[in-house]
Amino acid sequence: MKVVRVSLIFILLLMTFWFLNVLVSPKYMDSLVEGSMISEYYDTPKNHEVIFIGDCEVYANFSPMVFYEEEGISSYIRGSSQQLIWQSYSILEETLKYETPKVVIFNVNAMRYSEPVSEAYNRLTIDKMKWSKEKVEIIRSSMMEEENFLSYVFPILRYHSRIFELTKEDFTYFFQKKTHTFNGFLINQAVNGVKSLPSKRPLTEDDFADITYQYLDKIRLLCEEKGIELVLIKAPSLYPYWYSEYDEKIKEYASKYQLDYYNFLENILEINLDYSTDTYDGGLHLNLQGATKLSKYFAPILKEKYSLTDYRENNEVSVYYEKELEKYYEEIGSGV
Amino acid sequence: MKKVLILGIICFIFLVGCGQEAAKNEEKYSFSYNNMEFVLSEIFTREKFGTELEYSEVASCAFEGLDKTFKYEHYEISTYPDGENDRIYSIYLLDDAVTTKEGVKITDDVSKMKEAYGNSYQEQGTSYIYKKDDTSLTFYTSNDLVIGIEYSVVMDN
Repeated sequence: MKVVRVSLIFILLLMTFWFLNVLVSPKYMDSLVEGSMISEYYDTPKNHEVIFIGDCEVYANFSPMVFYEEEGISSYIRGSSQQLIWQSYSILEETLKYETPKVVIFNVNAMRYSEPVSEAYNRLTIDKMKWSKEKVEIIRSSMMEEENFLSYVFPILRYHSRIFELTKEDFTYFFQKKTHTFNGFLINQAVNGVKSLPSKRPLTEDDFADITYQYLDKIRLLCEEKGIELVLIKAPSLYPYWYSEYDEKIKEYASKYQLDYYNFLENILEINLDYSTDTYDGGLHLNLQGATKLSKYFAPILKEKYSLTDYRENNEVSVYYEKELEKYYEEIGSGV
Repeated sequence: MKKVLILGIICFIFLVGCGQEAAKNEEKYSFSYNNMEFVLSEIFTREKFGTELEYSEVASCAFEGLDKTFKYEHYEISTYPDGENDRIYSIYLLDDAVTTKEGVKITDDVSKMKEAYGNSYQEQGTSYIYKKDDTSLTFYTSNDLVIGIEYSVVMDN
């Protein structure tokens, strides 16, 4: 009898602990929605021929809905805010457990960061990832000095003070969730053109850190092993500055390993980007209009160069995309 | 006994987290120019610093609000949003008109910088980064000459 009572108390304690952990964890549903993007992938059909990995320069600037509509391409953007290259590598590893795309596209902006930038960005990428050896690896490689692994396992260790700051969001999304992106593309229709940009800091290192090359090598080798074409891109964000020295190094790397590299900053005129209307934050990210232009420009290149399938002719896949497109146009209204 | 045990577990959970947030109380980097004190993390107001020559704003990757940059003749102040206010997170010196509190300015040589700030710096290429509490002072150099100086807040969360 005593054993039963002790067991019941123990179970009750565990349940309370679990309940508190879920309650105080950020939900990323109504605010900081970028924190939910990595997990949205788990619920989508895994039929993508193109997977993007990288930071906000991928999830804000490319629209898989446009890729599908224009060329029938099935793609997904596994981007997250300030996604560092070792995080991109682990996210790619995780993705390849679900599917093997024909093409992986990596945005090279992350090459400039050789160490974790902030805990807040780590959390946006990591918090909602499913538990796996890749998640463990991402946590280990991304933690700032003051962070500890256990706080990712038991969020209450990090977020306990939220117990006094709970909002309706914490209760509404205790059990349920909603999606914010269209295959990883986060729509923003605001217009805030470029007026001026902060001063360019002197470049004191004309090459990337060794660790970033090591991870770029790992991404390349993983793609090679799986027979995937790795493509490097630099999205046309005007800030932070993409120095010509950086560009040269990526061109050298791409040439050495025979990879394609598209620096869209060199194609602004062909894409017809107008930075007074096509960005929502003064040149850092493209808005819906800008992302649509860029995606329309890139779609035929992708289709032709990598012989991608036209999924508009595949009933099983097209049903999903047609539904998504309906929601997409509902959300953007007459935005484009 | 059980109540004590439960209370103990709850206290442990809260204390582990609180310990991480213990406030540091070291001195931060700051300087003055033209009878104005430049202190990182302080609220920025045009009343104090005057009207800028140029203004730009960019959003951070995910966080709400805009990072704003106010460019003046000899320096550029960048801010981050904190509720209704904008707090200073970076001051970038643009020329040799402004001298740091320890007497270093753009165009000085690296040896003068080391004399003033010592050898406890982190080197990143040809830039030297000194840290104090949650602030940093970066000297961008080229050919052993200081070509840029930046005060910044080290933002962890």
